[in-house]
Amino acid sequence: MPNPTPADIENLIELFNRSDWDEMHLKTDTLEIFLSNDPQARRPGQQVAAPVALAAAPAAVAASPAASPVAAAAAPAAKGAHEVVVPAGMVAVRAPNLGTFYRSPKPGAPAYVEVGQTITADTEVCLIEVMKLFTPVKAGVAGTVREICVADGTMVEYEQVLVIVEPAA
Amino acid sequence: MTIKRTLVANRGEIAVRVIRAAHALGIEAVQVVSEADKDSEAARLADKVVVLGPAPSKQSYLNAKLIVHAAKQTGCDALHPGYGFLSERAELANLCAENGITFVGPAAETIGALGDKLRSRAIAEAAGVPLVPGTNSIASVTQAHKAAEELGYPVLMKASAGGGGRGMFIARNADAITAGFDAASTEAEEAFGDGTLYMERYVENARHVEVQAVGDGKGRVVHFGERDCSVQRRYQKVIEEAPCALMPAKLRAELHEAAIKLLSSMKYLNAGTVEFLYDVDRQAIYFIEVNTRIQVEHPVSEQVTGFDLVQTQFRIAGGEPALPRQDQVRVSRHAIECRINAEDAYKNFMPSPGRIQTWQPPRGAGIRVDSHCRDGYLVPPYYDSMVAKLIVTADDRPACVERLRRALADFHIEGLTTNLPLLRYIVAQDDFMQNRFHTKWLEQSVLPAFQQDSV
Repeated sequence: MPNPTPADIENLIELFNRSDWDEMHLKTDTLEIFLSNDPQARRPGQQVAAPVALAAAPAAVAASPAASPVAAAAAPAAKGAHEVVVPAGMVAVRAPNLGTFYRSPKPGAPAYVEVGQTITADTEVCLIEVMKLFTPVKAGVAGTVREICVADGTMVEYEQVLVIVEPAA
Repeated sequence: MTIKRTLVANRGEIAVRVIRAAHALGIEAVQVVSEADKDSEAARLADKVVVLGPAPSKQSYLNAKLIVHAAKQTGCDALHPGYGFLSERAELANLCAENGITFVGPAAETIGALGDKLRSRAIAEAAGVPLVPGTNSIASVTQAHKAAEELGYPVLMKASAGGGGRGMFIARNADAITAGFDAASTEAEEAFGDGTLYMERYVENARHVEVQAVGDGKGRVVHFGERDCSVQRRYQKVIEEAPCALMPAKLRAELHEAAIKLLSSMKYLNAGTVEFLYDVDRQAIYFIEVNTRIQVEHPVSEQVTGFDLVQTQFRIAGGEPALPRQDQVRVSRHAIECRINAEDAYKNFMPSPGRIQTWQPPRGAGIRVDSHCRDGYLVPPYYDSMVAKLIVTADDRPACVERLRRALADFHIEGLTTNLPLLRYIVAQDDFMQNRFHTKWLEQSVLPAFQQDSV
């Protein structure tokens, strides 16, 4: 099987969502995808890497607040929800208050952290801005960055999951 | 309506009230909440909910920057501050202006000027609004006697340099001045390093009356009648009514005129209330202060005039010609509001938050309940203890008191301790029914008897 395109993966997720399957596990030479309706589910083999986001995809609600604030209002559950599911064994770095999330210290500068990077508890992982006041957010846990959950420049709410870290053993 | 989407920067019943008013005008409502209010009634009603921060007000409802940031990020073009919290902070109105968001309230400068006690008195005086009559410094007993004759007994002697009751005494006749003057001056000298005294008229039989008004920001101000809020405990209003049935028509006209003179002199914008002390014995009114927000007790004015004041606030803020002519505002009928608080009147009004097991408000003609509560709702311990406002309307005051008495009897709340037993006790008092009370009546006459009866 040739390397799947993003569109292929989207189609797979769409297929999975419409099916009555509980899980789907697909493996090629270069790619492995595990989809599950159970937020607690773990991929067989347990070497957790990229699948974090995909594993959670069907269960996750990811509204985009800045783009269409009130459009998201139709379903009450989506009104204020940013319920990213944190997989078991992972630690979430959460927003200390409402604000705008920035991945890098200033526009064009390298991001504070990238997926796969090893960090300490004191590593700054992002900035939260409130009315031009920029406050760095520290990881609070040593380990490896597994996911950046928020797009650069979007509004985050109090306690929203910003970054998922796999703690050092 | 030029306003498309408003941020609601408050919580509890007023947030619910503001969302409903916005929706009635086709305005979308974005509700900001603290962590503790994520499941509140306002959050359920709003089109969008944004969590600002943890439960403590300082990190949520009192953080103007967080709130305006949220307003911008959610595309709001207006912000309604409700009452309490940041509603009377010029900072919030300023931040809104700087960020192109319409503040549903007065201009920031107006809020600043009227929020300062001395400046607001100066504004009132310049507009020809009566203040409590008083004197400049008084140097001797003889001078004090002369001043008291002019003001009329009883009088209150006060220390120029400070407060807290030091150097202060009430004199009901000339002998009392002679007896107290030197001691008070010495006490003031010791407390503040300055023994200078001055004198004010002392109002023994006082009512708290206030005029509800709305201005267009260009100098036109319309009033929506007055309210009598004399049933108070520690300067907190407990029961409010409209109109002030005790006040003769001539004085009432003077009261309304004084409020309009004051507010139009500063081209007041949006809703505001001018508070006065009503000296029943001398049939005089004295300016206290201006509240630059919608007030808790606004519903009684809505009930007797038929105008929705919160919708009017939005329409004025949106630049609509929303002000009626003064002769279109007619006060008919009588309305009384009771504040129902989660507090234990038997235990020194200790706040009693908790989970509501049963929530059964009264229903029927002339009964309005403004509340954010429901069965199973957890009243959080972090904020104001008010859980509902019961507003009752009838043709006249006696009929209104009777309807209120029955509505209070029909209000059932389980799971919380509330002040309902005290409210029922107050409205059953002969003095309340006969409209014979003053601002100290609840504390001096009712509470001791209530607590005695409960033993």
